Amino acid sequence: MKDDQLILEMNNISKSFSGVKALDDVSIRCKKGSVHALVGENGAGKSTLIKILSGAQRPDKGTICFKGKNYESFSTREALSVGISVIYQELALVSEMSVVENIFLGREIRRTVGIIDSARMRQEANRLLEQMGIKINVNREVGELSVAYQQMVEISKALSRNADLIVMDEPSAILAGHELEQLFRIIQSLKDNGVTIIYISHRLEEVFRIADEVTVLKDGQHVVTRSMEGLSRAELVSAMVGRKLEEVFPQSLNKAGECVLEAHGISTDTILQKVNLKLHRGEIVGLAGMVGSGRTELARALFGADKLTSGEIKLMGERVEFSSPADAIRKKISLVPEDRKQQGLFTALPIKNNITLPILKKVSRWFLLNRKMESSLVESSKKQLSISMASEHLDVQFLSGGNQQKVVLAKWLHTKPEVIIMDEPTRGVDVGAKFEIYQLMRRLTEEGIAILMISSELPEILGLSDRILVMSEGRIVVELEHAEASEEKIIEYATMGESKAA
Amino acid sequence: MTPKSNFLQKHSLIIVVYSLVFVLITVGSIYSERFLTLRNLTNVLRQAAYLGTAALGEMLVILTAGIDLSIGSLVKLSVLVSAILMDGNPDNVMMAVGLTLALGLGVGLLHAFLINELNLSPFVVTFASLFILQGISLTITTKPIGRSSKDFLLLYSQKFLEVPIIVYFFGLVTLLVAFLLNMTVFGKHVYAVGGNLTVAELSGIPVKKIRYGVYGICSLLAAVTGLLWLMRMGVGDPVIGKELELNAIIAVVIGGTSLFGGRGTVTGVIGGVLLLTFTDNLLGTWSKSICERVGQGLNFCCCCRSL
Repeated sequence: MKDDQLILEMNNISKSFSGVKALDDVSIRCKKGSVHALVGENGAGKSTLIKILSGAQRPDKGTICFKGKNYESFSTREALSVGISVIYQELALVSEMSVVENIFLGREIRRTVGIIDSARMRQEANRLLEQMGIKINVNREVGELSVAYQQMVEISKALSRNADLIVMDEPSAILAGHELEQLFRIIQSLKDNGVTIIYISHRLEEVFRIADEVTVLKDGQHVVTRSMEGLSRAELVSAMVGRKLEEVFPQSLNKAGECVLEAHGISTDTILQKVNLKLHRGEIVGLAGMVGSGRTELARALFGADKLTSGEIKLMGERVEFSSPADAIRKKISLVPEDRKQQGLFTALPIKNNITLPILKKVSRWFLLNRKMESSLVESSKKQLSISMASEHLDVQFLSGGNQQKVVLAKWLHTKPEVIIMDEPTRGVDVGAKFEIYQLMRRLTEEGIAILMISSELPEILGLSDRILVMSEGRIVVELEHAEASEEKIIEYATMGESKAA
Repeated sequence: MTPKSNFLQKHSLIIVVYSLVFVLITVGSIYSERFLTLRNLTNVLRQAAYLGTAALGEMLVILTAGIDLSIGSLVKLSVLVSAILMDGNPDNVMMAVGLTLALGLGVGLLHAFLINELNLSPFVVTFASLFILQGISLTITTKPIGRSSKDFLLLYSQKFLEVPIIVYFFGLVTLLVAFLLNMTVFGKHVYAVGGNLTVAELSGIPVKKIRYGVYGICSLLAAVTGLLWLMRMGVGDPVIGKELELNAIIAVVIGGTSLFGGRGTVTGVIGGVLLLTFTDNLLGTWSKSICERVGQGLNFCCCCRSL
């Protein structure tokens, strides 16, 4: 009886990579037609587990039982043919090809040997899309579609293969609010048709919303599997990180010191209008506001990346003019950018080179790099920020999001900054690493650094900031103290039009 | 976006290329009254067959995000080998043609083997091949060698309905490549491998087989081009094929094919071939080398800019 219900059992799976255990005796069981959430920090082993399920990797130990049949391991092809489809975060689509070509990629419907039957493929693709309740012209190039639609093309692709189990790896990470609703609707209809879904997500709200069961992994080990019924958010978080929710935001212990950075009525060619701002030693100032409210523009202006059209910036009471970010860096201001892969790191270079890049002068003599000095600096960063890395020679692209962010931070900390501007410091970072980054930010302020933090995550703004500035349409509309701020207030001010603000 | 503007945007490069061809024809007919004659135009098309046959093969390789730098050298070697094998004897024609084609196919499959199994980059493999094939040719001879049989030589000037049969042959090759790319599973897989290799692998596409296919066809078409040259020259001339790969790549790229793979059409490549051939034909009477180089360079920059 019980065996009928279970579609998938992965039993006692272990997998090591060059001696490091990625999975240690992990088991997971999924019921047919249910949504099974898989949660855990980055590096907890979720993706390794999924790769084993999809046939991309072979387990060292353990067995997989799918639809009542036992397997030692799969090849990618086998996994697909028995009915397992994985939808990765980086969608597996060829953007130059059309919707219909993508759906049937690798399994084209043939008229005779080697010749494709485009008419039937189009018909079939239309049927699948209709079944999910979406309308797309199947001849359009996938690259022209929004990511939400691209994701739906992926789902249709899985359906066209008659998948019984669809694994969705962080599907929501690329979706906006209303698109998420559509995804949930599609998941519901898939469920009604008896398809099983393994749903991986960082966002716990979603897990609570759609999952029937949840499995928590931590450090490659299975923590718990249980039904969502009666599970509280706090319980889930503490299972994930092994600590309680209240401890997530470390509170400020010290008082703000003297004023380090001051802006008087600064405006730029972008949307920034007469912004005033003060940053003191030892405080974290949160900068909230909608996307496009001018937060990033303010950061760029303070960092010398955009030219001021009016107003002035004072550093330690002295008027300064930055003609480029290089000037700002020399004056001990650092910017940790929003998009670390594009703007913060050389992802194809080793960790060491990334960290020492801004301070090459310091670690060299007569134009020659002192490797020992470099390594010792990297070693100290590793300790200070607890970056987990196998070697300093590893390319940054192989690190998890949290560790990448720590590398960016390490790089700037070596320039001994007085002011750090952080744009979305925890975007794409898992819960555990978030906590470490918060702690680190606190520690830095205790050493007298002033931090200006831009964030779209209100809990982060509320939990961490000593003061909160809310921006709207290029102005700072209100300043709130830590104690008086609430989500409602921030949203109210952030959505306030120019008329009211003025 | 309306479908129409979308169409224009997507095919802008092809439209530009064909407009330039039209401009060249207009300029040509003003410049010389002999230009716009059936005789000259079919002549140009026959010339286009030489670059075009090689370019279509190169296109297949580039669509997979690869490159074949060796086709010029392979054309050279093919001319020599076929001329030596034929040696003016009509009985040898079939044997010579067959062996030359086999040589081409073999070289292409070897390229694919090295890329697939040794994980070498297409650039490295075919760049090495460029020199190796050239070296073999120079070892064989530095002067014209061998001889075409008379019948084979006559094929060059033979016409059907006033049009050289080489032009029909080129048309057939073009249609075959277009059919391959648009109507067959192989064609779709070629685009997929170039568009996104990881996705292609995850979709269970036999990537290695696709590479054997495109490099094999590319080199095969280079051997065919070699045979066409033997028809034209009548002897194995080691001068043939010099820098042909560059012209072929230029034709492919200005025809709108992305050097990063996954995007490109036969129509575009033929446009690129025609543009280069007409430029060549018009500048032929002038101080050729300088103008042609400059012209090609400019063409290439303009078209790549609009990619």
